Amino acid sequence: MSDMDRTDPEGASVVEVRTAATAALIPTIRAVASDLAARADFDLDAISDLRMAVDEACATLVDVAAPGSSLRCAFSVYGERIGVEAEVDVAGPDTSVSTDTFGWRVLQTLADEVELVSSKEDGRSTVGIKLDKRAAALPR
Amino acid sequence: MLDPASPEPSDRAGALGATLGSPAPGVRVLTVEGEVDTLTAPHLADGLTRLLDDERSVPVVDLAEVSFLASSGLAVLIHAAHRATGQGRTLHVVATSRSVTRPLEITGSDRLFEMHADPAEVLGLGGGAGSGPRPPEAD
Repeated sequence: MSDMDRTDPEGASVVEVRTAATAALIPTIRAVASDLAARADFDLDAISDLRMAVDEACATLVDVAAPGSSLRCAFSVYGERIGVEAEVDVAGPDTSVSTDTFGWRVLQTLADEVELVSSKEDGRSTVGIKLDKRAAALPR
Repeated sequence: MLDPASPEPSDRAGALGATLGSPAPGVRVLTVEGEVDTLTAPHLADGLTRLLDDERSVPVVDLAEVSFLASSGLAVLIHAAHRATGQGRTLHVVATSRSVTRPLEITGSDRLFEMHADPAEVLGLGGGAGSGPRPPEAD
């Protein structure tokens, strides 16, 4: 299964953003998330949730990224939901993200689905976070 | 297109205004402006420490001009709420925009604070209405 598949069978439009893996560029990525959600007619709570979830996922990944690597973030916009796949290169296969944190619990609250993924191919290790957000936020 | 080769640390991202003032007798207000994320949360934490160091007044943090609040910012606010509780006080939070109220509500952390939708509400907290400076509560 390819991580960032541009031709989506469900006909999503895909937007990919790639930056250096630094916290200073996360505001740009979360602004893209917010813009895509607004254009997809997400309700205001869902826009806020997605912006915060993307920020949280990216901040978590930047923390474990190998020095000098990039942060890749792909948004798949479907009619009623947006899927996000964020990914960084890490120094080795032992590097991972702790899910026993306040930030991870917040992420689970904000998104409808969250999944931690990691892969190792040709000696290159990556860690990623996949999340899914529906256009109408669940009531509290 | 973003160019990964030139990571431009935007000034806005690093800039968080956090100003301490006393708009009414017995009330200390930390006014915060900007985006609270992993980069700027430490700055908010410093401001809250200074706010709570003065144990004689009612502590208020005004987030009306905050346009983004990440979990790192929430964690800092929750820590400050617990410190205030330990001092026998309640941390008051002014929040008017969804970018602040939504994160507080969806995580349930709004219950740790006295929330105010109107900044003017906090002006009377220090005295008037017979409340006066509150001694730490027993038990």
